[in-house]
This record gives sequence, structure tokens and C-alpha cells, in this order.
Amino acid sequence: MHPNLVRTLLCAGMVGLLALFATACGSSDEETTASESGGTEQLAFTLTDAGCDPVDAEAAAGPITFEVENASSNPDLHELEVLDGETVLGETPDISEGDSGTFTLTLEQGEYTLLCPGGDGEPGTLTVSGELDTANSPAVEDAIADYRSYLEENTAELISATEPFVAAVVAGEIDKAKSLYPAARIPYERIEPVAESFGSLDPRIDARENDVPASEFEGFHRLEKALWEEESLKGMAPVAEQLQADVEELAEKVKTVELQAVQIANGANELLGEVSASKITGEEERYSHIDLVDFEANVEGSEAAFEAVKPLLDASDNDLSGEIEADFKMVFNSLEPYRTENGFVSYTELTKADTRKLAVGIDTLAEKLSLVPAAIASAEHE
Amino acid sequence: MGFGGAGFLAGRETAEASNDGTGSVAFYGEHQAGIATAAQDRLHFAAFDLLSEDPAELRELMREWTAAAAEMTAGEMVGDVNDVPLAPPEDTGETVGLLPSRLTVTFGFGPSLFDKPGLGLAGKRPAALQPLPPLPGDELSPAESGGDVCVQACSDDPQVAFHAVRNLARIGRGTVAIRWSQLGFGRTASTTRSQDTPRNLMGLKDGTANIRSEDAEAMEKFVWVGGEGPAWMSGGSYLVARRIRMLLEVWDRAPLQDQERTIGRHKYSGAPLGGTDEFEPLPLDQERNGHPVIPVDAHVRLASAQENDGARILRRGYSFTDGVDESLGELEAGLFFISFQRNPEQFVAIQRRLGSMDALNEYIKHVGSALFAVPPGASPGSYVGEPLLS
Repeated sequence: MHPNLVRTLLCAGMVGLLALFATACGSSDEETTASESGGTEQLAFTLTDAGCDPVDAEAAAGPITFEVENASSNPDLHELEVLDGETVLGETPDISEGDSGTFTLTLEQGEYTLLCPGGDGEPGTLTVSGELDTANSPAVEDAIADYRSYLEENTAELISATEPFVAAVVAGEIDKAKSLYPAARIPYERIEPVAESFGSLDPRIDARENDVPASEFEGFHRLEKALWEEESLKGMAPVAEQLQADVEELAEKVKTVELQAVQIANGANELLGEVSASKITGEEERYSHIDLVDFEANVEGSEAAFEAVKPLLDASDNDLSGEIEADFKMVFNSLEPYRTENGFVSYTELTKADTRKLAVGIDTLAEKLSLVPAAIASAEHE
Repeated sequence: MGFGGAGFLAGRETAEASNDGTGSVAFYGEHQAGIATAAQDRLHFAAFDLLSEDPAELRELMREWTAAAAEMTAGEMVGDVNDVPLAPPEDTGETVGLLPSRLTVTFGFGPSLFDKPGLGLAGKRPAALQPLPPLPGDELSPAESGGDVCVQACSDDPQVAFHAVRNLARIGRGTVAIRWSQLGFGRTASTTRSQDTPRNLMGLKDGTANIRSEDAEAMEKFVWVGGEGPAWMSGGSYLVARRIRMLLEVWDRAPLQDQERTIGRHKYSGAPLGGTDEFEPLPLDQERNGHPVIPVDAHVRLASAQENDGARILRRGYSFTDGVDESLGELEAGLFFISFQRNPEQFVAIQRRLGSMDALNEYIKHVGSALFAVPPGASPGSYVGEPLLS
């Protein structure tokens, strides 16, 4: 249950990220025909000994190309930067005297700082006005549609796998409920970051005992505790029925969730963060010890998210794309020694050397996967 | 022994004591040193279990510890028997030739001390000294938590801090046994205005909004125990220690913008999001495009005085690393959080909010926890805790 993931998969609340990543979710190159530059506004600057010329500029929200010529004799002056507050959103490569350089940024409305460091001039202001056209390119739309169908397949599976589990709990059939529990966990763990974007829904379904006040401990892990630790289902029927209602609510909400390609890519990485933080440590399924089931589901979900955005990455960095696919194989292979007829061995059977090997594999993959969001965003500029 | 600079003679606790090794901090005073003292660079902290319930033994321990701490903070060797050929030296010797390095030694008493019937301290227990309640996000290991007595040794030289704990443990052998100990290699807080804000292992400035000891009003209000009692705690404070493991590998993979939104500050300047100066006020009410500039789950927002009914604490923590996590093959590292407050409830209230809502929880785990009542300072001829134990 990680509230931070809320913002990684939702468009709502992501406005702050648009300045950096919007091209992945909102390049308007394809749609706008008004300008010969394909809808990208051009702003020309000259670096003079006094600093940026002009000092201030105005532009319409959307992709903006900054064309910068260095006419200065000051050797310290060789770039132009655009900042939001003091975060540098974009800058030219170093431009030698007499040369020029460009970069493109997609900006929403607001005031940004223009800076030519090394010059004598004061920072200027770039005023961006109008609404940002957030229509996506067809490739981005395809990526989002692909991942959306994955989400919906999994919420459907979640509902159908939770139903018999809940029925067994309500009927007080401990052994049967235990055997049905893992199948219900898998589809949830595959799409966990999206579930986490719906406020209290994730804690209700998936909170661990120490995540929430005792009175709010419910959902899967409350039933897990009843089954494996308390070995009694007394009083659990309402908890089970609420769980069924909650997963159905989740399925409804997923149908209309707003998605962005960059956030899907980020979600792929954060699913691996989940593995590192709570599965390899055996904290997620602390009563049933089916952590390796969740482990595999998290990695499957991560792979599906990656595959959805992979065509966008292929355009810019085919090598990275290939390395990531190879690493996914390596991680899945690392799980094989622990596979059993019905799933995986109990977490308690793993030695420290076993978990260490698994953890190192995840870290290797995740380090590369973490490069994908920025690579996708920059691909759209080229 | 180990002193060489003229700064040693000053012997007064001042914010200006030099951190080049020559500075020393007076052991005796109204308050124990190591709280308002400008945070030194290194830490060795130890929690001890009392082995005996004989009040006389505990008195003797505190008398001997006080004398040894006063010697060590002055840069002197412990004890008198250090050159008898047939006797082991009283001082273990590794600081001979080293400078005092602003060593401070701070003692505290844990809640469990007051539960021991033999000591007969139940009637003197401060109402505020109850074990910390379970807090959201706790994943505590008992072996790294609690303790009857604590020693916080801080110095600009790690070997000087280590030497203090080692020698106190040796003196206490038979009366106390070390329960757990923690080295801290870099301070993560500034406690005076003259110090720059250091960075923690997440690469972020930590403790920008900390109480500074020059702020006498804030120290009286939030740090020092006043007339609320018991009398033996007046001028003392409560120390909370939390061993916070950082999941650095996961953190390092988070995009810069996520890291900054998690904390609510810019990574390099330390300024609040949207701002340019580290010390400018947090724009908690400001919105941009309908969203708060500082996210609702940002660490600085949830920890801020404004969002905690004005409550503040004096933080004095250190970065640590203890080798490799055997089961993960990752660095076992993080923040050894220490805070001083007039009442532990100040910490509890802030941690309740952080533990359940803080975006930072994705990257940290609280694995150790302890609380100690830190009595006021002693005067020469007396010992720390005398008003409680006599």
C-alpha cells in the first residue's frame, strides 16, 4: 500500500509533471496543422554579452522549440535554460560562439524563468498562456489502450477469483478458503499501482496489519490472518462480503481511470519496488507465506506495463528495450527453482542466500526499467 | 592526554566551539550537553540493560559514568591506573593523541527502569515516560529497541565517540550489559544557526526547519522539561531514538520529480517546491492549476509545525550503514533518528501522521525504537541522575 503510487498512474494530479513529461501524453504534433512546424511554436533567442535576447518571451501552451544562437564573446555564456521555480525543465546543449542549438519542451500555462547563466543579465520570464492540447499521438493511444485492456482483464479475473474465496469464508470452510486465497491475490498484485490510485480502496482491500489502525484492518490480509494464524473464521463473513464489494468497485473505477504512457512506465518500475520492499522480505503475506506468488504477479504486472509502452521506447532506444526484455526473462527464471505443483514454496523455506539472489535480479532489472519514462518522454521530441 | 589546542581551556559549551578537533564542550551544566550543543559530525549511541536491581549499584554506576564522561569530554584519559606494568590500563587508549573533538556524553533512563520493583523508582516515574505506543508503519525488531539506560556519545571524531561508549560499557560491566548500539557516520541535522544544513542518504537536506538552540523561547517551550514535573526532570528532556532503514535502491530509481514531491523540497537547493531559497516558508496553502504546490502527502507538509498544532521537536539524527542486508544483498543503511522534546507526545503525534500518510513511507522502515528520560545536567561533585536515585 504505497500512497506515492497514486500520482504515478493517474493523470489527475499530474499537472506538475506535465511540464516535464507531457510530450508522452500530450504531443499535439499530429493534430495541429496551423503551423508549418507541425504545431510546435518556435522561439528564437540570441546569447549576447548582456545575457538572453530577448529577456522575456511569450508562447502558447504546447510544444515549444527554443532556437538559440550564441553571438556572445563571453566564454562563460553557452546555454539557455528554462526553469519552473528552480527546477531546470530544459536547456540547450553547450553552444560555442557563432553556433546555434535547439531543444523542445511541452509547457502548460504559467510563468517560467529564462536564464542564460554566465551572462550579466537578470533572468527573464517566459509567459505561457492558453490550454494545453492533451490529445495523444496514435502510438501513445495504442499503448494506453493496450494497458487498459490488461487492467480490465485482471479486474475481471479478480472478481471471479474472489467470489469462490469469499463463499468459502462465509461458509466457514477454512481449508477450502486457504486453497482459493492465492488465485485471488494474483490479479490484484498485477495491477496494484492502479488500485492504489483510488484513495481508501487499496487500504480496504490490501492493507497489512501495521499499515492502518486496528479498527480499519480488513480485506485480504485480515482474512489471511484469520485463516492461517487464528485458524477461525468467526466474524469474518462481513469482512469477506465487503472485500467482494470492494473488488467490484475497483473494477468499475478502473474502466474510467485516466492513464498516461509515462505513468504506465513508472508503474512498471514501482511494481518492482513493491517486490523489493515487501515480497522479498516476506512482509506482504506474513501469515500464509505465499509471498512468491505475489512476487511473480508483481513482475507479470510490471512486464505487461512495460510491454504496453515498449513500442514507444523502441523508437528511441532499442538496446535498452532488448536488455529489459532479457532481464525480465532472467527474473522469471530466478523464480523457477521454487515453483511447485500449486504455486510456489512457502517463503519460510527460503534461505537468506535464496532471497538475496532474487533481490539482486530485481534490482538489476529495475535499475534499467527506471530509465524508461524519461526515454519515452524524450523520444517524442525527436 | 588527547588534547592539544588552546580551545580546550575554554571548556564552555558554546555554539562556536571549534569543530577542527580542538574544541571541547563542558560536561557539567544546567542541561546535559549533547542536546543544545551544535550537532557534532559522528555518533555512537548505546542502550544498556540493567543486570541488577540493587539501587546502590545503579547509583555507583551513574557516579562512575559521570566522572569518566567528564574526563573524556575534557580530552583526558579515564581513571588513574594507566601506567602500572602489571595492571591493564583503565583507559582503553585509542584516543591518546587525539583531540577532544567536542565530545559530549548524554545519559538517559528508559521506561523499563521504572518497572523494576527492586529499584523502587515507580513513585518517581514521570507520567510522560510511557513506552511509545505502536505507531503506523512500525516494523520494529526488539533486539534493536528499548533499553534501561542509554548513552549518546557525539564527537567530530568517530574514534572519540566510540571510545566513550566502549569505556563506559567497560566501567559498567557486571551492572549493565549493552543491549544494542549504533554508529552514526554523518549528522543529518543542524542544531545551531551557524551550521549548514547537512544532507541525509537520500541526497536531501534534512532538518532545515529544525529548532536552533539559539532560539531560547523554542527550547523552553518544546525541548526542556519545565515545572510540570517530576522535579528531578526539570531542565531535562525526553530522547526518542528510531532506527530508520532507507530502501536506497528503490529510492535511487525514483525520478527526480517524484523524489522532490515525496519530500516537498527541491533536491539540490532544499527550497520548498516552487521556491528558490532553502529557508523560505513552506507555501502550504498555495495552489497551482488547482493542485497544492506542496503535495498533501509530502513529508515536509505532514511534519511541519503548521500541520501539527504548532508542535516542534529538536532533531539530532545521524546517517548510518551497517554492512549488507544479508537477505537482500543491499546496503543496510538509513537514518538513526534522534529527537529531543519536552514531552514524548510531541513526537508521537507527528509520527502518527507521518506513519499513516507520508509519501516517504514507500522508501523507509522504522526497525528500531527507544525512549529515554534525559535528566538535567550535573554540577561538579554531583552525578547525572542524582536527584532521581538518591
